Amino acid sequence: MSLRIRRLAISNFRKFRDPFAIEGLSDGLNIIIEPNETGKSTVLEALRAAFFVRHSTKNQLASSYAPYGENVAPEIEVGFDIAGEQWSVAKKLLKSPSIEVRGPAGRDQGEAAEERLQQLLGFERDSSRSRDLNTYGALGLLWVGQAEALEVSAPGRMVRDSVHATLEAEVGAIMGGGSYDRVRARVDQQYAELWTATGRPTGKQALAKERLETAEAASKIASERLTALEASFSELESDRSRLRVLEKELADDTDTQARKNLVASTETARSAAQLLHTRRAEYQAVAGKARGLEELLQRHDAAEAALTVTSQKAEKSRIARSEIAAETALARDRANAAKAAHGEARTNYNAARILLTGGEKQAEAARIAAASEAARQRHGKLISLEEALSSAKAIKAAGISVADLAKLDELDRAILKSRIQLEAGATRIELVGSSEGIAIQGKPLGVGEQILDGETRIELEAGAALIIRPPAASASASARLAKSQTTLADMLTKLGHSDVSAARNAHEASRQADGEIKTLLTQVDALTQPDTLLDLRAGPEALKLLVAAMTDVPASGTIEPLDIAALKLAVEEMEITSARAEGAHDAAIEALRKLEEQDRPLAAAEVEAASDQRNATALVADIEAHADFATLSDALAEARGSAADHAVKLAEAEQNASAHDIAAIERKIAVIDARAAAANGTKRKLETDIARLEGTIESEGGKGLAERAAAALEEAEAASLAYGRIREEAETIKLLRDTLELARLETSRTYVGPVAKRAKRHVERLLPGCELSYSEDLGLQSIIRGNIDEGCGNLSRGTQEQLGILTRLAVADMLLEQGRPVSLILDDPLVYSDDARLDLMTEILLDASKRMQVILLTCRDRAFRHVEGTRLSLSPTSKSA
Amino acid sequence: MRFIHTADWQLGKPFGRFEPDVRAALTDARFDAIDAIGKAAAENGAGHVLVAGDVFDTEGPEDRTIVQAVSRMARHGCRWWLLPGNHDYARNGGLWDRVIGKAAPNITVLRDPMPVEIDSGIWILPAPLTHRHNLDDPTSAFDAMETPGAKLRIGLAHGSIRDFGSRGEANNQIAPDRAKVSGLDYLALGDWHGTLEVDSRTWYAGTPETDRFQRDAPGQILLVDVETGRLPTVTPLRTGRFQWLKRDWRVNDFAAFEAERQTLWNEIEPSATLLQLAIAGVTSLSERIRVLEILEADVGHQLRYLEARTDDLVAQPSEEDMQVLAVEGVLGSAAQKLNALRESGSADAAIARRALERLFVEFARGDAV
Repeated sequence: MSLRIRRLAISNFRKFRDPFAIEGLSDGLNIIIEPNETGKSTVLEALRAAFFVRHSTKNQLASSYAPYGENVAPEIEVGFDIAGEQWSVAKKLLKSPSIEVRGPAGRDQGEAAEERLQQLLGFERDSSRSRDLNTYGALGLLWVGQAEALEVSAPGRMVRDSVHATLEAEVGAIMGGGSYDRVRARVDQQYAELWTATGRPTGKQALAKERLETAEAASKIASERLTALEASFSELESDRSRLRVLEKELADDTDTQARKNLVASTETARSAAQLLHTRRAEYQAVAGKARGLEELLQRHDAAEAALTVTSQKAEKSRIARSEIAAETALARDRANAAKAAHGEARTNYNAARILLTGGEKQAEAARIAAASEAARQRHGKLISLEEALSSAKAIKAAGISVADLAKLDELDRAILKSRIQLEAGATRIELVGSSEGIAIQGKPLGVGEQILDGETRIELEAGAALIIRPPAASASASARLAKSQTTLADMLTKLGHSDVSAARNAHEASRQADGEIKTLLTQVDALTQPDTLLDLRAGPEALKLLVAAMTDVPASGTIEPLDIAALKLAVEEMEITSARAEGAHDAAIEALRKLEEQDRPLAAAEVEAASDQRNATALVADIEAHADFATLSDALAEARGSAADHAVKLAEAEQNASAHDIAAIERKIAVIDARAAAANGTKRKLETDIARLEGTIESEGGKGLAERAAAALEEAEAASLAYGRIREEAETIKLLRDTLELARLETSRTYVGPVAKRAKRHVERLLPGCELSYSEDLGLQSIIRGNIDEGCGNLSRGTQEQLGILTRLAVADMLLEQGRPVSLILDDPLVYSDDARLDLMTEILLDASKRMQVILLTCRDRAFRHVEGTRLSLSPTSKSA
Repeated sequence: MRFIHTADWQLGKPFGRFEPDVRAALTDARFDAIDAIGKAAAENGAGHVLVAGDVFDTEGPEDRTIVQAVSRMARHGCRWWLLPGNHDYARNGGLWDRVIGKAAPNITVLRDPMPVEIDSGIWILPAPLTHRHNLDDPTSAFDAMETPGAKLRIGLAHGSIRDFGSRGEANNQIAPDRAKVSGLDYLALGDWHGTLEVDSRTWYAGTPETDRFQRDAPGQILLVDVETGRLPTVTPLRTGRFQWLKRDWRVNDFAAFEAERQTLWNEIEPSATLLQLAIAGVTSLSERIRVLEILEADVGHQLRYLEARTDDLVAQPSEEDMQVLAVEGVLGSAAQKLNALRESGSADAAIARRALERLFVEFARGDAV
């Protein structure tokens, strides 16, 4: 069913003070192109006023219809067709307001006319001060004022309701309507009491939860306090029973008695220790004495044994010595005999030599006499040299050879040695007082000391004689001394020196002069060639002697020679005899010496043995002189017995002392003391604790903690139950609300579907491949292009306007299909559209104009110039009667 | 010899699950029971009241509870003999010290297991409990109790009779033949909250004021007449103000519910009744809603307390129920969704059932307006 505006006439309406009319509006597209400020918008406003503004109202909107500053009555008259039937409405506003509606069935005026219009066009009475487009119904949506389409607004409730109501047949469902709203409102209210808008618990639910939490916390605290009190009770009970046990223990005098006994034991132990000390000392004393006596006995035994041994040794020495003494005496006799024989042989030898020397001298003298003459001659020359040599020679001549000197030294040492031995072994006697009548060896004995080396007879008065025999060693030493002295004297004689010392000095001087002499001697040597005849030996001395002696020398041929050979033979015989005697003598001396040597260690041993024997004897005597010795054996037996007795006593004392270990006893006492101290300490602590706990119980126990805890627990349980109920209630309400909301959305979508379907038809041309998303109130929410959902607010103003128009067109189509009276009026539309879109939109509008009347009010002549349609003008020229 | 035997006063029991006004009434009723006992003693000429344990609900009651108890007892002429039970066991520095600190001359606390001659030749043999859980038979000491010149030996103990059954408390078990074994003329027991005759000389007095939904009978005390050589005569006397009732109703329509309610109403004094009601059955949704409405708006308000369990009253939305809503568009759609969820047996089914009920309630209420 279509609504077609046929004619509009107005006067005193805003800028149209004079009567003015638009006529000849066609069924299809009508385009009114006028410049700005010519009243296009007023035309739309006049149409709205004609239908929707009550004639009797004097509201702000109605007042605005009067031309500015004029107190006149705006008048509007509209002629229109609905479903092919002609209608008209004539309305006068503000002053003497009136309305008259004429239709096929006749004429209505006043309120009836208003109601007729509402019924006819499906709108409600607008009681707002200015305007409520929602009350205008479908036409409020489809008659689009300037810029109103720029917002893609949702259709008003009336539109929706009318759409929904008319869609019943199509979608087969109906809205809950009033029942739904009531139920929903109550459910929402109940929901709000339990949940926040964002679905968090609040109100009763939050309170219940809070109550539960508070109750649980309180119960926990109460329970903890009660538990603490109960702990105090148990602790007190336990402390008390411990104290009882402890007191019983303390009352028990076992320890005290034990301690007393131990203290007594300590005394016993102390005296036992003291006794042990004494016993030990006693034992040591007695044992020491016994030991001393035993030692004395042992020492005596040892001394006796030693004495026996030394005595045996001394005896043995004596025997050995006596054997040797006999042999020594024999040897001494032999030595003396040999000595005598030797002396005789020597005397004989010396005499023979004297004889030989005389003979030789005689022979010599003859030869010397012959040669003396020659010698005297050489001598003369020598004298001069001799003088030069004299000083050196004097020294040289006094010297002796090294070998002689060595021999002299050896002899000298032998003499010294013999003398020392003689000294050691000789017997010294000294006579003091008058020596008258006393002879020694037949000679008078002078006063003073005499040294005797052999058996000496001293004649005393009255025919008595004292025979002194020095030791045998002295005799042999004397013999050796005599022999050495003789040899030395011989040698000294031979060397021409008085004693050994002179010989030594001479040797030394000659050695020093030797060098000088050698030089002179070379010269002398030539002069002093030897002359065997004169027995002149080489050397100046010989010559000098020769010459000096020449005065006594007989002349040559006057001396009778003697038998030299015979003399020599005699000398040799005498020499051999003497040598043999000397050898025998030496052997005898040697034998004697050997015996004496054998005797010496024996003598020493004898002396030592004698000494040892003396010592041993003295020791034995000493020991036997000891005070205890006399009673030694008895004393020793007694001491041993006493030591044994004391040992027993000591052992006894030791046993007693060990039986009472004082340290162990003291440890035991310490343990008992420590136990008592600990028990007392524990007791004090327990008493303190008990007092404390009793205090706690007294203060806490009277507070009714158990009852409070039980009450708190039950409160917590009750709160839990209450919270559970509230939760259940909340969940129920939530589910109910959500379900209602879901049902509403689903139902809404049922109605959105057809609208979207119709809009899509147009939009597909404008935005190909694009989906439209409508909210349940038919508001266009977004478009989906290439899976991207764009909210409407983000679209360009042009697109928003285009979509707004197309949505309106879709609603209009639907209403049209349902036989509702619709028409589309667009005031200054598509101002933001580009040319292509504008063409497309005009094409769509042109297409729509085939189904419904479309009136375009625009100032843009060029934009719509090419569009086919009925063109109308607002110029007064078009005014008709 | 005539005396009152009572027990299990449970003074100071919190009743925390009840709303404050109910809680206050229940608490007061327990104290009032003391007065009822005192009056009963006076009316029946009983000079002694033997309380067999659990005078107090906890070992640590509020001071107010103690003072209330003592002052109520003090104003009656009889003598009160109080035995510590498992709830109010005796210990040093505990509850009974506080009671004695406030006690009146006519109150004696039997804290020690020592026989007491309460009248010439009348001996009480008490078995006080000293712990919450006593493993031994507390009355075993009766055998050794000397009661010289006893005309009557009356045992006073708290605990369950051994092999009494699983419903009694398991601890403090008392030999069932204690009265005989220990030569008692009467054994006054406490702990079991209902009156019970164990044998002709052994009785549980039960609580004088019921404190839980366990048995329908209101609280009682026992008036005991006992003479030497005769079996005692025991007469229960009602002292309880409140009746704690448990009811299970099977209703399949509103009429059946109404019938049950009427029957109950004929039996009880609603304002002195606490009812634990369980309703089971299958009804239409609208009938269930009516039942719930009646319970909430009428029964609950008439009774002192109502605890109704209606989960087992299964509401099947009838065709009619659904049709009423179906014409309502969105509401009908929502109802169908909730019904589907309800029938799905999923976790939300119970909530869905309630939500559906609520939808009907709100819709009906809307109708009414």
